[in-house]
This record gives sequence, C-alpha cells and structure tokens, in this order.
Amino acid sequence: MEHAILVIAILAALYMAGNIGANDVANAMGTSVGSGALTLRQAVVVAGIFEFAGAFLFGSHVTETVRKGILDPAMFAVTGPLGHQGPLLLALGMTSALLAAALWLQVSTRMGLPVSTTHSIVGAVIGFGVLVVGVGGVEWSQIGRIVASWFVSPLMGGALGFLGFLGIRAVVLKNEDPVGATVRIAPYLVMAVGTILSLTFTQKVLHNVVSHPHPVWVALASLGCGGLAALVARPVISRVVGVNVGDPYPRVERIFGVLQIVTAAFVAFAHGANDVANSVGPLAAVVGIARTGFTMTPDGVPMARWILALGGFGIVVGLALWGYRVIATVGRHITEITPTRGFAAEFATACTVLLASRLGLPVSTTHVLVGAVIGVGIAHGLAALNLRTIFRIMGSWIATLPAAAALSAVIFVVLRSLFLA
Amino acid sequence: MRTIFELFGKSPFEPLAKHGQAVDDVVREVRPLLEALLAQNWTEAKAVSDRISRMEHRADQLKAEIRDNLPRSLFLPVDRGDLLRLLKEQDAMADAVEDLAVLITMRETRVPDALKPRIRELVAEVMDAAKTWMTISELLPHLQEAAFTGPEVKKVLDLVHTLGEQEWRSDQLGAQLGRETVLLEEELGAVSLTFIMRIGQKLSDVANHAETSGDMVRLMLAKG
Repeated sequence: MEHAILVIAILAALYMAGNIGANDVANAMGTSVGSGALTLRQAVVVAGIFEFAGAFLFGSHVTETVRKGILDPAMFAVTGPLGHQGPLLLALGMTSALLAAALWLQVSTRMGLPVSTTHSIVGAVIGFGVLVVGVGGVEWSQIGRIVASWFVSPLMGGALGFLGFLGIRAVVLKNEDPVGATVRIAPYLVMAVGTILSLTFTQKVLHNVVSHPHPVWVALASLGCGGLAALVARPVISRVVGVNVGDPYPRVERIFGVLQIVTAAFVAFAHGANDVANSVGPLAAVVGIARTGFTMTPDGVPMARWILALGGFGIVVGLALWGYRVIATVGRHITEITPTRGFAAEFATACTVLLASRLGLPVSTTHVLVGAVIGVGIAHGLAALNLRTIFRIMGSWIATLPAAAALSAVIFVVLRSLFLA
Repeated sequence: MRTIFELFGKSPFEPLAKHGQAVDDVVREVRPLLEALLAQNWTEAKAVSDRISRMEHRADQLKAEIRDNLPRSLFLPVDRGDLLRLLKEQDAMADAVEDLAVLITMRETRVPDALKPRIRELVAEVMDAAKTWMTISELLPHLQEAAFTGPEVKKVLDLVHTLGEQEWRSDQLGAQLGRETVLLEEELGAVSLTFIMRIGQKLSDVANHAETSGDMVRLMLAKG
C-alpha cells in the first residue's frame, strides 16, 4: 500500500518537471529566439542538452535544500512528536506538495498569471509542514534565507545586467570601430562563460583523479576549459564578421548573436541546476523514506543521483512536447531585445542563478531574468520597459505562497485519510 | 511565462521616425505651394493645399498613436518629456505648412515681382533646414541601437549645429523679406501686406520648429 505513495510521488515529480520544461524554459530561451540568435529548433536542442546537464551535474545543492532544508527533520523522525507515523507522514506530505505545486501551476497558467515553480513548491512544502507539525516544525531561518534570496537575486541580476551592458556600451558601442572591438573581446566573453560553467563540475571531475583537489587546480582546469571554448569560438566568429563596410551595428549584433547562443546554453544550465529541485527535491525525500520501508527519515544519507537524471529527463520531455510552442510564442513577441542586450541579460541571469544554486538557494530564474533585463534597460539598452511588470510579479508572490500552501494542506489531508485509515 | 514579454513596451523610436517621414511628406509640398502662389495658379494651389491637408492629418494620427503608447509607467532610455516635446515640435512643422496652405488659398494675393527672389531664397533655406531635421529624425532609431553612444552621437550633434545655423539664416531672410515688403506698402495695400508678412512668418516657423526639435535631441543626448 505504501509503495503506491512512491509511484504517485514519481508521477507527480515527472509531471512537475514536465511543467517546468513546458513553461519556465521559455523564459530562459525566449530572449535568444526573439533576438534571432537561435531558431526555435536550435533553442529546443540547446535547452534540452544544457537543462539536463545543469540538473544532473549541479542540481544537487538546491535539491538538498528542498528535500530536507525547509522542515525540521527532528519533527518527522521516529523519535519526534509524530512517533512511528513520522516518516510516512513526511512522505505523504512531500507527495502532496508535488501535487499541489503542479496543480497551482496549471491553475495560474490558465488564469494567465505570472507563475514561479520555485515559489509554488516552497509554499506547498511549508503548507503541509505547518498543518502536520505546526509552525515550530518549519525551519524559519532557512525560509528567511530563501525569501531573502527571492528579493536579492533579481536585484543582483539587475546589477550584473546593468554593469554588463554598461561594459558592452563602453567597450563596443562607444568605439569608433565597433565591429573590431567586438571581434577582440568576443573570445574573452566566451572564455568567461566557459570558465564559470566548468567551475560547476571541475571539482567533481578532478575528485575522481585526486581525492581533495586543491582550489588552484580547479581554477586552472576551469580556465583551461574556458580557453578551449574561446579557441573553438574564434573561427565561428570570424566567419560571421563579413566585410567591414556600411552600418557597423547590424554586424555587431550578428556577432553577439553567436555569443548569445553561448549564454543561452549558460542560462539553460543554470536554470536546470536550480529548478530541477522544484520537481525532484520532494521526490528525493520520499525515495529516501521509501527505501527504509517508511520506517525512518534518512537525513544523513546523500540523495541518489538517478533522481536528478529523472528530473532532468522530465524537464527535457516537457520542453520537447510543449515547451517549444511557448518559446515560439514568447520569441515572436520579444523582438525588441537585440543580441547585445540579450547577451548581457542572460549572462547576468546565469551567473546569479548559478551562485544561488551553489548556495543551495531555490530562486526564480524568471524573476532574475526580469531583474537583469531591467538592469540592461537602466543602462540605456532598451527602447521601452514596462515597469508595471514588477508590480505584477510582486502580486504573484503574494498570491502563490498562500495558495500553494493551502492546496498542499488540503491534498495532504485527503492523502492522509486515504493511507492511514 | 508571459512575464518576460509583458516587460517590453513598444519602442517609440521607430514610430517617431515614421511620424518624421509623414511630416516630411507635408513639408515637401511647400515648394509647389509657393510656386503656385508666385505664378498666381490658384487651381494648383488648391490642389496642393488639399494634399497637404490629407497628409497633415495622417501625421496627426501617427502622433496620437505614439502618445497612446507612452504611459508614464514606461521606462525609456531618454527623458519622456524630451521625447514628447520633440514629437510636438516635429508635428508643428506640418501644422505650420497647413497654416501656410490656408493663408495662400484664403485669398488670391498678388506677390510683386520685386519680392519673388527673396521669397524663393527663404523657401530654399527653410527646405534645407527641414531636410537637415529629417536626416536627424531618421537617425534616432540608429541612436537607440547604439545605446545613445559612439560616433553616431557626434554625427547627430553636428547636424543639430548645422540646423541651428540654417534656422538663423532663414530668420535673417525672413526679416529681410519683411523689410522689403514694408517698403512696398503703398503699392500693396494693407491686406496684401499683412498676408505676405504672415506667409513669410509661417515659412520661418517651419524652420523654427525644426530647430527646436533639434534642441530636444541635443537635450536627450546630453542627459544620455
């Protein structure tokens, strides 16, 4: 009977992951399609590869937070106030959270609201947690960190987007020879992306060779990968440059179009790393408990890696089946963001989201991207920004957390009556 | 999901350049209009005036569209006030031409041969100023592409400077025309005198509005 819970949890997690792939990814890739840097098909392929890579290679940090960071593990342990039912209730609760978050995503998408998978799942976990073990069972300091990151991450995206575009403006656009300036800095930009991406997995790779790789080796290896990427990019870029006559800015944009392919992959990776947790974090908790036959809450045990692969797979499927349509819609509407601006916004977003992922903080990639785009706008990059969007986003926060929490509590009550009766 | 594209507002720069083209269509009719006046060809004058009226209306519609799409919640890379003032001044050029057409078709005013060369000089200078402004207007979307920096900025500021000089010269010519017209007051009579003076002033107004538009661009670039 209890193993039905595991099956439900896996299905719910896959459904959540599919939703993430179908909706969220569009925001990560939309700016690249809209600017013309990628075709729809290329966007789907790039997203597919890098979302999975991010989820599998770097998704563990945030997944651990969602798995066991939000609720106090002692409350659900056999030695806790719930006694022997603790682990089962936790498993039921995490499953409810998944179902609630997925349901909320459907509802708000249908209502046309801006929706965050991250906020939904965090709200849902808090929801059943408060119902079962009361307010004391929630790790409010961790919640505090997470909510703070929801404010700080868009601001950081904004600051980096602002500085990034200011840099492009000063080095490239202000230049007498913008095309030449672009060709000169392009390899360094690719190297920067390559290095940062490599940093996410170099430590683990080197770990297979040397048990505790010295940070200097990690840094050097990452720089090496970055340099390699730059070398590969060089001939591609020179092929795009063309003859140096007439209006230089379209050619600058074309070169940045190539660079934007790189940042699109970068954002997809960062998004996968951060958001896979929204689907498999709760699942990881259920799997861990199911392994013990629902008798223990195994916190000390690290999470199984196949769970990350499952989440990554779900995201890619959702992306391939439905996400492409959303990307097409988004891409068709966003023509105002040219590659120079898109590059700056995406680079800023990816860096911020990766940093948050490293810190184990679940953030909304969409909100960070909005912050980054606004940052670029403040640096005089964009023709017109609708600042009312900020209020809509804040509004969605206020709506999502309680709604997801309430849904989660209700579903939990239903499941509990089904499985404990 | 839709958050991202709700974030982008409609750019005002391309519509502004389109409005500029519509105004240019109107301003191009000044020469045919004045030549019809000088040749006393009133049927031609009426035909040109009708064309001007239609095209000025189209420019007004474009102006309204731009204003409709510039709510206060929209964040722009330039000052919203400067942009709206630029639009107003650019549109005023077309308005001045329409007023000119009304003046010319209202009364079959005879222009003495002595004044014709000066009038043609004034028209030429005003048309040059208008052409300079149109060049600037077409460059605004390019400036936005370059994020209001780089060699394009200097190019535009140089054009604004040239425009200032052309406006000054057209003011000079307008003043000279006024003086020469007054000298002929006995021959002309009060009503013809007034009409010719008004026509001269309206011509100068076209150049004045062009120059003020240029000033708005200078302000926009200074803050950028």
